[in-house]
Amino acid sequence: MALFDARRRRNAIAMALSLAATGFGLAWLVVVLGVLLWKGVGGLSLAVFTQMTPPPGSDGGLLNPIVGSLVMTTIAVALGTPLGILAGTYMAEYGRYDPLTTIVRFINDILLSAPSIVVGLFVYEVMVARMGHFSGWAGAVALAVIVVPVVVRTTEDMLTLVPDTLREAAASIGLPRSLMIRRVAYKAARAGMVTGVLLAVARISGETAPLLFTSLNNQFWSANLNAPLASLPVVIFQFALSPYEDWQKLAWTGALITTLAVLALSIAARVLTGQRKPS
Amino acid sequence: MSVVEFTTPAAMQAFVKAADLSEKIAIRNLDFFYGHNRALKNISVPLYENCVTAFIGPSGCGKSTLLRVLNRMYDLYPNQRAAGHVALEGEDILSPSQDLNLLRAKVGMVFQRPTPFPMSIYENIAFGLRLYEKLPKSELDDRVRSALERSALWNEVKDKLHANGQSLSGGQQQRLCIARTVAVKPEVILFDEPCSALDPISTAKIEELISELKEDYTIAIVTHNMQQAARVSDFTAFMYLGELVEFGETSTIFTNPSDERTQDYITGRFG
Amino acid sequence: MMSDPHTVKAFDNDLQDLARMVAEMGGLAEKQVADAVDALARRDTALAQRVTGADGSIDNLQREIEEKAVLTIARRQPMASDLRQVVGTMRLASDIERIGDLAKNIAKRVMALNGEFPPPKLIRGVEHMSDMLLGQLKQVLNAFARRDVAEAMAVWRADEEIDAVCTSVFRELLTYMMEDPRNISFCIHLLFCAKNIERMGDHATNIAETVHYIIQGRPLTDQRPKGDTTGFASMRAAGEG
Repeated sequence: MALFDARRRRNAIAMALSLAATGFGLAWLVVVLGVLLWKGVGGLSLAVFTQMTPPPGSDGGLLNPIVGSLVMTTIAVALGTPLGILAGTYMAEYGRYDPLTTIVRFINDILLSAPSIVVGLFVYEVMVARMGHFSGWAGAVALAVIVVPVVVRTTEDMLTLVPDTLREAAASIGLPRSLMIRRVAYKAARAGMVTGVLLAVARISGETAPLLFTSLNNQFWSANLNAPLASLPVVIFQFALSPYEDWQKLAWTGALITTLAVLALSIAARVLTGQRKPS
Repeated sequence: MSVVEFTTPAAMQAFVKAADLSEKIAIRNLDFFYGHNRALKNISVPLYENCVTAFIGPSGCGKSTLLRVLNRMYDLYPNQRAAGHVALEGEDILSPSQDLNLLRAKVGMVFQRPTPFPMSIYENIAFGLRLYEKLPKSELDDRVRSALERSALWNEVKDKLHANGQSLSGGQQQRLCIARTVAVKPEVILFDEPCSALDPISTAKIEELISELKEDYTIAIVTHNMQQAARVSDFTAFMYLGELVEFGETSTIFTNPSDERTQDYITGRFG
Repeated sequence: MMSDPHTVKAFDNDLQDLARMVAEMGGLAEKQVADAVDALARRDTALAQRVTGADGSIDNLQREIEEKAVLTIARRQPMASDLRQVVGTMRLASDIERIGDLAKNIAKRVMALNGEFPPPKLIRGVEHMSDMLLGQLKQVLNAFARRDVAEAMAVWRADEEIDAVCTSVFRELLTYMMEDPRNISFCIHLLFCAKNIERMGDHATNIAETVHYIIQGRPLTDQRPKGDTTGFASMRAAGEG
């Protein structure tokens, strides 16, 4: 019995420590969200979504950075997703037993955790310096470079999870490989792959460093991708560091908007993965 | 046809007696390698047309390996190769020039675990059909229906053709897989332990199905269950450690086998 | 009995039980036959009575063997040699039971003779037949227990001799009956006894055929040599002989 009691005591201590750690982590999350809401919700209004960034002292909104972010994110996803999915498909299907795949996977993992500022510098050197000016395109490309490894990883993982028996079943009715991948493997891995894309989007919505070197910022309304383009993270950066109160207020609002957007995306991703329920 | 060497006189007898049966698949001197490991050793066995041939033997004897040679399923994986002759109605299926997709359309396979595609029941069957034939919707509907009727599944799913295939019970899923295989009108159907994941009633339904299907198809079945082999097959092959020990008519194998190893296995004296 | 034991020991036990019951039944039947003929030779009606009563235990054993065999088939799903063994055992039990009945029949006739006994020299023929039959029975049951096909085949062929003796006994009795009508009664009883023993011999050959089937896996299709012409011998031929 003494052994049992000792074990029970140890269990209780471990449980207490785990709960404390969880509480600690959650507490900070709550604090952050709370502060964001507190500081940002006051500034939320229709004007935020319809007016451009104002000079200090006047009223305005966050239209151009929101639009800029949306545009660059969309282009980044449009560029990065096909590349990522195709690479992931090769690694999981055609090249599964190829030694090249191991190398690619390794490099991909490195890229996955590369500091985004390095990515920004790289795109600066390759695009901005060549073109001679900052541009929205450069920003989009920098974001795409961050999207690709995420999508490659999730695509490969999700496709590998599809059981081989399903592939064999498709092969056994004479399905050519490409059709099997398109109509069977993709279908089976669809939820996971979409989740991967959503996670990539969530990731790049908050990236500031790469944009600093590529799209810079633009105070005015601009839809010209060939010129510096406003983006929400950079604007928040700029406004938060400024001494102007209304700019700071806008920065908080912008941060709140970004956070809510990422939250919405993560929830969507969760719902999608939860939806697949085999009977 | 080249000279066939059967291992026992009884097998020769069965072969001669069955001379009025034609050999749908002729397997001669087949070797199979997983890397350097020789898993099948010089196998020669016939699969007679419109008959059910069962392959029995202890675990690891190579019966599933043999089955997977017949539709070249091993081609999906590296380091697996077959050597020898396997002829489907005279055509060597092991040759590199063989169109694999065409071969697999002629030689269908049903697996141990039911594997319906992640689509509706209707799509599961129509999918394969659309690959090979351009059919108007009404004809497609008919073909789907007849495949499901053939697999004794139509009455159970006719009201929910658009439900997901994976929402069916295990036995129904397996019958769906059989319907899917039958829909593309193969010539040979391979069953790899089709009932081992199923309850007795589903098993009985599928055994009944197999005896109906053999009127139109040539069937090979691998099974761990000897009584099932005895119930369902016309010919039985006993394999051990990658070799064909004995082949003959099922009625002979289970009442009076020639080889002592066969006798030991089927009477439960093995190991 | 076979080379290796079954993985499931209970199966071996079932088969051994069946074999034991057959041996027991065979022993009982042998005793019945010996006692019945003994009762006839020594004119012992009390012994004959006991033989009649003892037949019930042979019948019981046959029922038990059948039940056990059916249960074994249901539980163990025997295949190949095991299946032949179980099915063969059922056939054997049936043949031995018939032999027991025939012995009881002889004992009944002893009681029916009611003091009117035939002269010893006539009975000698029947005794000779019964000795031969007992030898056959013992040999064939041995062959079953030891799975010896050669021994079973020897029994199968030797039945001819019993048949020959039966024919000669038949002739002798015919002559006797023709001599004196008062002899007819006991001669007929004796005739039936002889016939019974001859039928026992046939059952013994059935057992031999079953043993062949069990071991070889094929039924015996040859024609057994038959020496019993009592079916078509006529009075005139006997009168001439």
